[in-house]
Amino acid sequence: MTKHWGLKSTVGLALALALSTGALAQQTSYKFGLAMPLTGGQATYGNDQVKAAEWAVEEINKKGGINGKKLEMVVLDTQADPQVGIQSVNRMISVDKVAVFVTAWSGVVKAVAPIANDNKVVELSVGANSPDISQLGDYVYTTFPLADVDIRAVANYSAKDMGKKKAAVLFINNETGIGSATVYRDTFTKAGGQVVAYEAYDQKATDFTGPLLKIRAANPEIIHLQGLVAESPQVIAQARQLGITVPITSYSGIYNQKLIEQLGAAAENVIATSLAPGVEDSPLVKEYVDRWVKDVGRAPNGLPYTQYLYDAPALIAAVFTSLDKKGIAATGENFRKEMLAIKSFDLPLTGKITFSEDHTVNKPVYLVEVKNGKWTKKAVVGQ
Amino acid sequence: MDFVYSILIFIGLFVILASSFDLVIGHCGLISIAHPIFYAIGAYVSAMLSKQSGMPVPLSILCGGVGALLASALVSVPALRVSGDYLLIASIGFQLGLIELAKHFHEIGGAGGLTNIPSFLIKDFGRESYVVLVLALAGVTVLFIRWLTQGPYGRMMTAMRDDELAFSMLGRNAIWIKVAVFAIGSGIAGIAGGLYAHYFRFIEPDQFGLLQSSAVLTMVVVGGMRTTMGPVIGAIVLQLMPQVITFFNLPPSILGPLQGLLFTGLVLFFMFVRPQGLLPAADLWVGRKPLEGAGHSGKEARS
Repeated sequence: MTKHWGLKSTVGLALALALSTGALAQQTSYKFGLAMPLTGGQATYGNDQVKAAEWAVEEINKKGGINGKKLEMVVLDTQADPQVGIQSVNRMISVDKVAVFVTAWSGVVKAVAPIANDNKVVELSVGANSPDISQLGDYVYTTFPLADVDIRAVANYSAKDMGKKKAAVLFINNETGIGSATVYRDTFTKAGGQVVAYEAYDQKATDFTGPLLKIRAANPEIIHLQGLVAESPQVIAQARQLGITVPITSYSGIYNQKLIEQLGAAAENVIATSLAPGVEDSPLVKEYVDRWVKDVGRAPNGLPYTQYLYDAPALIAAVFTSLDKKGIAATGENFRKEMLAIKSFDLPLTGKITFSEDHTVNKPVYLVEVKNGKWTKKAVVGQ
Repeated sequence: MDFVYSILIFIGLFVILASSFDLVIGHCGLISIAHPIFYAIGAYVSAMLSKQSGMPVPLSILCGGVGALLASALVSVPALRVSGDYLLIASIGFQLGLIELAKHFHEIGGAGGLTNIPSFLIKDFGRESYVVLVLALAGVTVLFIRWLTQGPYGRMMTAMRDDELAFSMLGRNAIWIKVAVFAIGSGIAGIAGGLYAHYFRFIEPDQFGLLQSSAVLTMVVVGGMRTTMGPVIGAIVLQLMPQVITFFNLPPSILGPLQGLLFTGLVLFFMFVRPQGLLPAADLWVGRKPLEGAGHSGKEARS
């Protein structure tokens, strides 16, 4: 046992030393943390998102940083795992003394929320979309629209702009499927429509004829499909085979080129959402994607997410700049106040963002539709 | 200081987990890697009891331990009757099945996890008190397992592990010992789970999966199986190493792969170079199990 305690006290000493040097380094620069999965199953997405954030920080510093002071980013691995995330975030707060940190993946976002609240450090969730993220505490904010935002937009657009009166809802029988289907049903009904069929299918199902036949019998004018990327194309294909030709709406999950490749002509009249402007919406996004192709040799994994990650440092820099101008110390408390005071930010790749009182953000939802074998812009809903 | 506290708490929790796991897999020779699921059961039971029915936290943690202890029988009783290897399969099945089940129970948070678990001690006595509590319980666990394995019960376990047939010929009930040891180890893991839940206040099913299993197994293997201090050292080394690496200020493109390679590299290194772990168990490198056993029984005869 003596060996045990001896080890621990040496480690404690070493850590204490590291703590004190970390505190000194802060005065000439502004620091923020970025906790992302660099290893593990989610690393392909995490690393691309980190790269986007690195480019953004580079860009900000090239343009003069925070009133001439450098913006520094501390990157640590979370493996998308709550326990690893807790360690990383604790380190950022205790050692690097960050006033704000960015993280993603709902498990990590939720696990580190108590740490953010206890230490009065702002946590920005960028990419997790589970609706309960808005209720994690005073210091947890999201820059990413939560799951119900795009579902609401689709339901409202179908009822009001497309003038559909009868909708059918087909959803996967899991937590997000049920949650989103409920949101759609409530929104569509409130907008004056009627839900004529409300069918679920099992998670492992490969045959959807049963629920689809029920839907066909109900004769809806539009169908909302709430499934996963994996089985959604099959559901659409089977629906078309059964002679269901009405438009099918879904959410951002199915917005990818693969859907068209898999379905061919059956993909026509499928409407999806996107939470970030695409290449054709903004020249900056085009420039950004071109840079990926030029520097890395491919498009980023999960493009919209990397756009949000690219924009997070810009938002943080804007708040720091404002604090710096006023000469207010960049603590987590002041950061939160200033961020809420500024409220609206114009960000390069994802457009305008406004923080609401209820810890969510309002963002326009981009609707896209398959027309002649191509995703084409249909409408922008909200704001 | 939160960083240091959370490291110490993780070290304490993993000392408890690795030691109790070593009791099951090392001392008793029960090949199961589902240890984290009992950690999870402890965490969930304790969190739900204190959150929903307002049970005092110390009591709920204890209930979590009891819950894990009882749940272990669900795996061990049916599986051990068949044969040792079946336990591995049954335990993995139990672990993954239960995680999948937990994801679909909305009442316990589902796949999204359980938030706002009540905290304990921190508000009244500060975080230091919780660190002391966890480290003290880790110490108690280590001492308890040492007492257990070095006493008559330990000799029984060793005899059963090394030759089950001979052991049962002595009129001992091997299955009963296996079930009992499995239950003790699982119960201890359950208490660790409760301790985790009330400090970090969020748990989700996925964090108790096979990755967690391999982490605990690595701690035991690297530290040294069937030793008292082996799992302790394994837990400390494997908890500290990833933290120390972050202080080298490496760019993320190097830091990521390095963290990933570290665990794999460590396991490979120990498999080839030092299979007995940092602290080798005495009978392994001497290779004279019968003699040691004889020595013990000699002592027993004298007393």
